[in-house]
Amino acid sequence: MDAGFVFIQFLSGLTVATLLFLVASGLTLVFGVGRVFNFAHGSFYMIGAYFAYTCVSMWNINFWVALAVSSIGVGLFGMLMESLFLRRIYGRAEEGGFQILLTYCFILIIDDLVKMIWGTEYKSIARPPGFSGSVMIGDLIMPTYNLAIIAIGLIVVVAAWLILTRTRPGRITRATAIDREMLNALGVNVPLTMTIVFGIATGLGGMAGALAAPLRSVTPGAGIEVIIDSLIVVVLGGMGNFWGAWLGALVIGEVNAFAVVFVPKWASLFSFLVMVVVLIFKPEGLFSTRKIRKV
Amino acid sequence: MNSSVKLKETAPWIVLILIFSLVPVLNTSDYQLTLANHMLVWGLFAVSFNMLFGQTGMLSFGQALYYGLGAYFTGMLVDRIGPEWFLPGMGMGIIAAGLLALAIGPLTIRVTGVYFTVLTLAFAQLAWGITFKWYEFTGGDDGIQGILPPGILNDPVVYYYFTLALVLASIWFLRRIAHSPFGLTLRCIRQNPERVRFLGRRVRRNQLGIYIISGVFAALAGGLVAGVDNSIHTDMFFWTTSGEVILMSVLGGIGQFFGPFLGAGLIILIEDVVGAYTEYWSFIIGAIMLVMVILFPMGVLGEIQKLRARMKGRHAKREITGEGELGTDPRTR
Amino acid sequence: MRRNKGIIMVLAALLALMVAPGLVAAEDKTIDIGAMYPMTGRAGLYGKDSVAAMEIAVDEINSKGGVAGYTLNVYFTDTKVKPAYAVRVAKRYIEEDNVHFLFGVVSSGVGLAVTEISKQYKKIFIGTDHASTRLTVDNFQPYYFRVANNTFQSMAAGALYLKELKAEKSWNKIAFIGPDYAYGHSQWDELKYNLERFGVAYEVVGEYWPKIYTPDYTSYITSIMRDNPDILVAGFWGGDTVAFIKQAKPYGLFQKMTYFHPDAGGNYELMSAMGAELPDGLILSARHHNNWPETELNKTFVEKFHNITGRYPSYAAEGAYAGIYAIAYAVEQVGNPDDTEALVKALEGMKMRLPEDPDGFTSYMNPETHQIVQVQAVGVTMPNEDFPPAKKMLGNWKIYDAEKIIPPAEYIKEKRAQ
Repeated sequence: MDAGFVFIQFLSGLTVATLLFLVASGLTLVFGVGRVFNFAHGSFYMIGAYFAYTCVSMWNINFWVALAVSSIGVGLFGMLMESLFLRRIYGRAEEGGFQILLTYCFILIIDDLVKMIWGTEYKSIARPPGFSGSVMIGDLIMPTYNLAIIAIGLIVVVAAWLILTRTRPGRITRATAIDREMLNALGVNVPLTMTIVFGIATGLGGMAGALAAPLRSVTPGAGIEVIIDSLIVVVLGGMGNFWGAWLGALVIGEVNAFAVVFVPKWASLFSFLVMVVVLIFKPEGLFSTRKIRKV
Repeated sequence: MNSSVKLKETAPWIVLILIFSLVPVLNTSDYQLTLANHMLVWGLFAVSFNMLFGQTGMLSFGQALYYGLGAYFTGMLVDRIGPEWFLPGMGMGIIAAGLLALAIGPLTIRVTGVYFTVLTLAFAQLAWGITFKWYEFTGGDDGIQGILPPGILNDPVVYYYFTLALVLASIWFLRRIAHSPFGLTLRCIRQNPERVRFLGRRVRRNQLGIYIISGVFAALAGGLVAGVDNSIHTDMFFWTTSGEVILMSVLGGIGQFFGPFLGAGLIILIEDVVGAYTEYWSFIIGAIMLVMVILFPMGVLGEIQKLRARMKGRHAKREITGEGELGTDPRTR
Repeated sequence: MRRNKGIIMVLAALLALMVAPGLVAAEDKTIDIGAMYPMTGRAGLYGKDSVAAMEIAVDEINSKGGVAGYTLNVYFTDTKVKPAYAVRVAKRYIEEDNVHFLFGVVSSGVGLAVTEISKQYKKIFIGTDHASTRLTVDNFQPYYFRVANNTFQSMAAGALYLKELKAEKSWNKIAFIGPDYAYGHSQWDELKYNLERFGVAYEVVGEYWPKIYTPDYTSYITSIMRDNPDILVAGFWGGDTVAFIKQAKPYGLFQKMTYFHPDAGGNYELMSAMGAELPDGLILSARHHNNWPETELNKTFVEKFHNITGRYPSYAAEGAYAGIYAIAYAVEQVGNPDDTEALVKALEGMKMRLPEDPDGFTSYMNPETHQIVQVQAVGVTMPNEDFPPAKKMLGNWKIYDAEKIIPPAEYIKEKRAQ
């Protein structure tokens, strides 16, 4: 096992980790920060991929433009779903439970909607021009699109952290998780804030779907597949902690990258195991400094 | 408790129970028998789940762990050794579920709210992953077929009555718990755990107790269903199974003891009826549940009780809470 | 689906009117078929293709006046890959709809559960797609018939191909990657069994078992590159194949080693999804190819499918098409759809020309395993724009005799004894 191979596995783990983070980023925002459990987060990811497919393959739009269009489109759709349905259950007793349920219904509905619109065939889009090849790092191969993804992941995590901690809208967003009534009393338009946060979160999910589309197949049922992984990342990193989510994704990506080499049969169970261990011993997340209130 | 009031309240349920008993007599179609059998088993599963959620306020997204455990103990023993191990297998599955709940309960109960939910989900998914991957041992995604109950139980009608008896007994037992001081403590915990602690009750111990009980009955449901389908499959552990039991409870009404039972029956009927007519049945169930959650959060049974109470001129009480004042309307904090 | 029944009936009536004004559709006498397929999620494509192909076959047969005075009537239900639900559906078909035949499925888990119902109620179950060899070997029961190849046949053809390849290219190191469940494992086991059976020497340098629907194979890819096999055998299906190939391409994997995917690799969905992105030189096979054999029967089938659905079929479609014709064959022989034991005998002796039969060969049923015996063709990807949106299709075919690739008697005996 030479240093070159270790580095290559590290890089491949980093790619996997960044994708995991990007997909989970929306959930980190809406659930981690906003405390709204959007179980259908994966479905918005899926819609983003299908939007990107439609733009690129059917309307021949440039990939990066399609990325923006998809993200915004999904975000708007998310805002619609939030204001029509989710808004009505804020303030209820056992709100968390009802959110899970309501967003579970979203999954069922969106899955069939996607099938009605796009059908059941597998779709695929190619990497954008200029990013279809690879570069050599020494004598190691690294696909350029993977590098772009890693860079985008870093941009997202830095931007999110800066916005949430340094700007007023960011602080307001964080406050919605703590005490909505107080925030309302302070003159903030809370329902609008919630809708916008949900829109941004779903937009992030859609963006991740569009970004991942050149690497994966665009398939029905993708929503159900990514939600569990995203949840693991959010929990691992600590609710609302973007850096935590990024690092948590890194842990999972790297553990998986090396498990594949040493214990290939059980590699995919590791992420569940990690989640279980973290939730038991450090439920506030691996990288969080907060303590959560236990009964 | 006033016994004539109690009788009046339980009378409709006795009637319903009688209906279930007459299903095999009135209609010998195997399909309808299977349908009714599934309603009973899922009804038990949902009611046991609601002891955690509606009663104690613990939203577990991982009850499938115990359901699957019960099914797999029963199924694997019958498959590996023989049909005489069906009942012992069920028994062992129940005991194993209890022990497992005892082991992981304290770990999951340490955290509350969504953390608890996610942790229960994680454990169930871990079990799913292991069962799926260890396919040399468990049969993996192929599942295990040919699980035939022994002797007279192999007859579908006899097995149906067997299920009916066990489900009724279990629900009766759970109802006794709901109406006992233990049940009252649990409802108080749902409302305000700290206050309960100040009153001198051990919150975690009570939560662990109901967590174990809920798991045990979920395992019983799993063992029973293995004999109905004569097969088991890894998707019994998957989170969508846990999700279904939640949907059933909410549809029926989490504030009513029998609500989840009704919800289970309704969902099974809808799945079959809608499924026969269209491939878009996910959409339809999703849409129905959406409407339920937003407009009728008290569930079918809850809304019925509300109507009845309104006709009598007073507020509906959450039946699961006993008399009057402790009831809360889920639409407001 | 029931709501499409109306369209079928209208079409059938119109065609009947055009063909022979004197024909009367005998609506009282029907052959009822209960089909179970997933129509949502990742496997939904195979269900929908199967349903479309069924409707084509039913339409063709009914428009010719049906079979022995009966018309075909099909029920469809989306089983969503859930065995417990499929069992309920099967029972409903048998008892409420009084079907004569059970038909389907895509998932082996569902197939295994339904075959138990078929055995219990003595209802013939025509298996059209699921891969598991178990249904005709280990879990064999007399009312089950399979009308498409199973993994054993694909892997046997694959092993023969690899044997011939040795003479051309002298390979030695082989690695495997496939989804970690029964389907993946049985492919690998069956390939190794057949390689040994045909006396092919090989050295395994890596075995990878990602979980099914893994989104990112990057870490597997870099590890495989390091193992440096001559041949990489893949056992994916559907979207996983697409994802793996897309992710492996920029690493130059396909230049460094030969990609070999004999069971589901050559399924048209891959070519239609990836278009020009699909690399050349991949060695793939499937249970049916849209562009081979170039017989009238195959071309007509594929064109019809395309005209009705707007797309070209995945291989599940031909299985469903064959299934309907198998039923028609049996009922034709027996004269009615009710005498189950006679129908079983008829099916056991079935010999029938199907779209996937090249000239000079006719598909037939093996009476011992109830598995249809068909030729398997393995090809290599190359440019071909005859089937849009695919830009590549398979070519450079190597054909393997049906008899050479069926499980040998010792294998069957060994598995059934377990």
